[in-house]
Amino acid sequence: MSDQAPTGFETWLVAAGSAAGEHEWLDRQRRHAAEQVRELGVPNTKHESWRYTSLKRLLETGFSRVDETRVDDLVPAGIDAYLVPGLDSHRIVMVNGHYSPRLSALGELPPGVRIGALREFLTSDPDALRERLNAVIGPQQPLFSALNTAGSDDGLVVLLERGAILERPIELIHLAVGMEVPRVAQPRHLIALAEGAQAALIERYISLNPELYCTNSVLELALGRDATLYHDRIQMESPQAFHITGLYLDQAANSHYQGVNIGLGGAWARTDIIARFSGEHAQCRLQGLYLAGDQQLMDYHLDVEHAVPNCTSQENFKGILYGKGRAVFDGRVLVARNAQRTDAAMSNKNLMLSEHAEVDTKPQLEIHADDVKCSHGTTVGQIDAEMLFYLRSRGLSASLARRMLCLGFAGEIIESIHHEAVREVVAEQVGARLESAPLD
Amino acid sequence: MLSVNGLKAKVGETEILKGLDLEVKPGEIHAIMGPNGSGKSTFSHVLSGRDGYEVTGGSVLFEGQDLLDMEPEERAQAGVFLAFQYPVELPGVNNTYFLKAALNSIRKARGESELDAVTFMRLIKEKLKILHLDDSLLKRAVNSGFSGGEKKRNEIFQMALLEPKLAILDETDSGLDIDALRVVADGVNALRSPERSMIVVTHYQRLLDYIEPDHVHVLAKGRIIRSGGKELALELEEKGYGWVLEQEQAA
Ligand SMILES: Nc1ncnc2c1ncn2[C@@H]1O[C@H](COP(=O)(O)OP(=O)(O)OP(=O)(O)O)[C@@H](O)[C@H]1O
Ligand SMILES: [Mg+2]
Repeated sequence: MSDQAPTGFETWLVAAGSAAGEHEWLDRQRRHAAEQVRELGVPNTKHESWRYTSLKRLLETGFSRVDETRVDDLVPAGIDAYLVPGLDSHRIVMVNGHYSPRLSALGELPPGVRIGALREFLTSDPDALRERLNAVIGPQQPLFSALNTAGSDDGLVVLLERGAILERPIELIHLAVGMEVPRVAQPRHLIALAEGAQAALIERYISLNPELYCTNSVLELALGRDATLYHDRIQMESPQAFHITGLYLDQAANSHYQGVNIGLGGAWARTDIIARFSGEHAQCRLQGLYLAGDQQLMDYHLDVEHAVPNCTSQENFKGILYGKGRAVFDGRVLVARNAQRTDAAMSNKNLMLSEHAEVDTKPQLEIHADDVKCSHGTTVGQIDAEMLFYLRSRGLSASLARRMLCLGFAGEIIESIHHEAVREVVAEQVGARLESAPLD
Repeated sequence: MLSVNGLKAKVGETEILKGLDLEVKPGEIHAIMGPNGSGKSTFSHVLSGRDGYEVTGGSVLFEGQDLLDMEPEERAQAGVFLAFQYPVELPGVNNTYFLKAALNSIRKARGESELDAVTFMRLIKEKLKILHLDDSLLKRAVNSGFSGGEKKRNEIFQMALLEPKLAILDETDSGLDIDALRVVADGVNALRSPERSMIVVTHYQRLLDYIEPDHVHVLAKGRIIRSGGKELALELEEKGYGWVLEQEQAA
């Protein structure tokens, strides 16, 4: 063990802007995370969860941090071009990891609802965060989450009191603006819904230019008893970008979570979803759709822990791979010994449009209880020749027919996006990417 | 309109069409009957350009063009339509979206402009009515979860929408109840015109009571072994295929 951060990560550990000593508890958390980074070192492909991924290029790049005072100037044209038509939301915009009040529009909030930037909360009401930050994720954090904890920029905080119901969705937009040198942004988000609260969150990652940069984001989601959260996540980073998300979810009794993860951008996009049931009769639905073409690796790791009885989880991820695209689906569902009557279904289906594409899919069920209903299945297949012929026999060109079948395959996931306006944007984006995808 | 001369086709090593001749003139309806496995669907597929068949001899001209040289979509765009014996389910593919893409592809090939949304919907609804199909079908995935009869009606509905020059109906009547058979036949008859030809593959004389053919052919062992008028169908209904096959062998 050394006092130095692993080479390549030195700049990541510096919490941007905020002076140390502001809050003793926060400093402690950050120090602890930084220590962990040093202890963990850089993972190599011998680590199970890094088997398919090399960090070489990421480490060689040497990312710098972003100066927060500049962020508003980076988007001179404003936000309009990046909005979802017809979507009425409480909008919070991060530019390269920093909150932009100018581009945000929180609007009026109903009673019992607080939404704001993390750094503002730390100034105005640190006590509201003290028990909550790092509570879902816990003290033992994997490398990138620990890096984020040690050196996060800013982020979204959503606190809903007991019974609070938010009608309009919260929209969290991450704008990435490439700069002269590659830079890393480490946004950090906390969403806590108290008993019976309901909200919807739309999280979008958008890049303004096709530059090389890195986003390392962490979300902590705490759902109280009977709470409901719909969570649409649309990742459209630049084709050169590294994207890393650690999503940590804790669900109390009877709570509902529905997350839809759409992965379209990035050269390497790794998403870890760690979900845990802490109360009975909770339901968790994790869905995903990813597209991977040349120079792209879509990398998903799910870890769902049924720690208590009577909970339901569904993990359903679909991928379309073309060119030399690659994907990893590493899904694990753990059913503890006392977690009787667990209902868990995991599925990963992949549609390969080229023989050069590659997918490593590894769903695992680890079941220690005896009265459970658990299933898992994966498929890796090509476009069905009969279906293709049927469409062509109706006059559709082969490429349009292929695209239509791909959209049909993806449709199930796109349909499950909670907001119709977002669904349309995603369908359009998926269609456009398939249209320019090389077919071989 | 369609001239098939000595058509031979193989699947793998097996020769299925063994020198098939057929001449279809504009406006004519030709019924093709024949025992199971005689090559009727194979013939339909070869005409519409499905993969997996190797044409080893003969020729097919459609309005003077070499049909066998065209891609499936080019044939459809030129006006060939196949109503499938087993329509394919396309899970997730929205019916409206599919119909619009099909119609616009074909219109474009004909040098016509794309239809705007309102005109398109009006047209669709009009054609749905002809086939007694419900609007809700438009929101569903193509053929996905449709009953057998719904699938067959959906094929004729597509034909009504795409208005082909040559329609090949492969056992569109099988699996239809009596009322549906009439609806489908009415749909087909509504499309009869001096410019439009049809090849109707069927096992049952009953369909031919509704859709009156100009010619009836018996396809057996990969060839047309007998042709006649609509009375041939009645004779087949009565006596089966045995006597035709025997006469063929004797000849
Ligand atoms: N892909 C294939 N592979 C192997 N054999 C095939 C294939 N397609 C057709 N055949 C064979 O070719 C022959 C003709 O089949 P086809 O489907 O054309 O018959 P059909 O006249 O349409 O029969 P039916 O009245 O039962 O629909 C059959 O013996 C069938 O098994
Ligand atoms: Mg057949």
